[in-house]
Amino acid sequence: MNSHVKEIAWTGSEFVLPLQSQGDSSQTTGVETAYDSIWAAEVPVADPSPLERIMLAEDKLYVVLAVVLVIWFGIVAMLVRTDRKIKDLERRLSDEGLEGQSKTR
Amino acid sequence: MKTRTEALLKSLIVLWMTAVVLAGFLLDIPRISILEHTARNLYFHVPLWFALMAAFLVSAWYSAKFLSTEDLDYDVRASHAAMVGMAFGILGLVTGMVWARFTWYVGTNKWWNNDPKQVMAAVQLMIYGAYFVLRSSFDHNAKRARVSAVYNLFAAATVPFLLYVLPRQFQSLHPGAEGNPAFDEVTDPVMRLVFYPAIMGFIALFWWIYSQRVRLTLLERRLENE
Amino acid sequence: MNWLTGALAVLEKDVRLELRTRYAINTLLLFVISALLVVAIAVKNEPLSPSLRSVLLWVVILFSAIAGLSHAFVSEEERGTVLLLQLNAKPSSVLAGKLLFNLMLTFALNSVAALAFWVVIGFQEVDSATLIVILALGAIGLSGATTLLSAIIAKAVNRGPLFAVLSFPILVPLLLSVVNGTRSAIEGAGLDTVTSEVFTLIGYAGVLITASTLLFDYIWKD
Repeated sequence: MNSHVKEIAWTGSEFVLPLQSQGDSSQTTGVETAYDSIWAAEVPVADPSPLERIMLAEDKLYVVLAVVLVIWFGIVAMLVRTDRKIKDLERRLSDEGLEGQSKTR
Repeated sequence: MKTRTEALLKSLIVLWMTAVVLAGFLLDIPRISILEHTARNLYFHVPLWFALMAAFLVSAWYSAKFLSTEDLDYDVRASHAAMVGMAFGILGLVTGMVWARFTWYVGTNKWWNNDPKQVMAAVQLMIYGAYFVLRSSFDHNAKRARVSAVYNLFAAATVPFLLYVLPRQFQSLHPGAEGNPAFDEVTDPVMRLVFYPAIMGFIALFWWIYSQRVRLTLLERRLENE
Repeated sequence: MNWLTGALAVLEKDVRLELRTRYAINTLLLFVISALLVVAIAVKNEPLSPSLRSVLLWVVILFSAIAGLSHAFVSEEERGTVLLLQLNAKPSSVLAGKLLFNLMLTFALNSVAALAFWVVIGFQEVDSATLIVILALGAIGLSGATTLLSAIIAKAVNRGPLFAVLSFPILVPLLLSVVNGTRSAIEGAGLDTVTSEVFTLIGYAGVLITASTLLFDYIWKD
């Protein structure tokens, strides 16, 4: 989005509340304390790892992308499984067809 | 006629889910600190959980139906609902882990946080895992169907306790838990516009995959019997 | 009345057989003692927090229960006496008798485990009334959950590992409640602090025993 947010998001402890420090508070809703009350203590001061740097960019939009991709790959895995089952069935069908032919001869 | 309505329904599911994904990414939502854009995961992660619950209900329902009728087709339905439900549950767990890891646990390297819903999903997956292990230890169809249906229902009886016990054992990131705002408070009306259709879409997706598997197995059975 | 006498007859038969061979009780005892000794050696003299103590106690109980409780129906299958029992007793009496027998075993198991834990590791300022209530309810829940599972695995091959796999997910709500309740007891809190655990455990045992009676017929008839 804008570079300012990214900058803050990368400087360690500050990234917790990037939108408030941004000064552009029109986008923030009234529920600032939504989830920070309990979990704020969990947030460390350590520098974000490279993976986190990617995931936190664009206001964490890539987290959503990762989630959608996980679901997509899951659906692909299910498709592949169904495909394999169909293949098994086809093979058995053709085997039985051959046996049937040999029997008639 | 029936196949035509089914085909129509399936193309509707495809369009519906496409619309959900598009709206999920493009619709403007109010920003909340920490959550930011990840609030959009509401459309993708949460419906998986609903699909798991739907699968769980379908599976238990057909297990009960099998016990009362002894019709093996119901056993096929129960086991495939459990199987596809398990897949959705695994997806729900993984997406939840990704979401929490990069939203609330930045810098902690914490992937597993003992959230009640997470533990609950894990236990549900354990139940299904046990269900399939049990199934694999029988060769006889009718006996396997009967015993596994009994186990499925017996395990289903414990799930309400998990729903009741777990929230008092662990803190939760999920709305409605103690100290967290209720779902209504954090969720903007705009988001519900996508969230509810997303739930319907994911449940429909579950039904599609599940009915494919059921049809395949029933075909297989018919081939064996011929 | 007829039903009750049948159940008591099954119980009496099992108790007699058990007193003759002492197979289940010895398994349970040896498991408890060896598991506790391993724990005691591992923790040495380190001070343990109440929650750790309660988790250790219940892990020991859980593993012993899983080693010993599958015996109820598996033994019938192994001795080939299932048919005899099917002919001579109503399914509900068989279940009730086995349930009572397992209940006796789990009561013995829990009291021995708690006593041994007290001697080897210690409870400190425990509220004994709370601890006893939680242990008793835990025993009822444990036997209520495992009796039907024992009947299930008796029908399958490779029973030992199967029993563990089937029981763990079902015992999760029970374990969460008893561990929480035991922790309160070890912290010295009174009975009134664990009311929600007590109600959960009563409900859990009630639901599982009801489900067992409803589902047992389907397992028992062949």
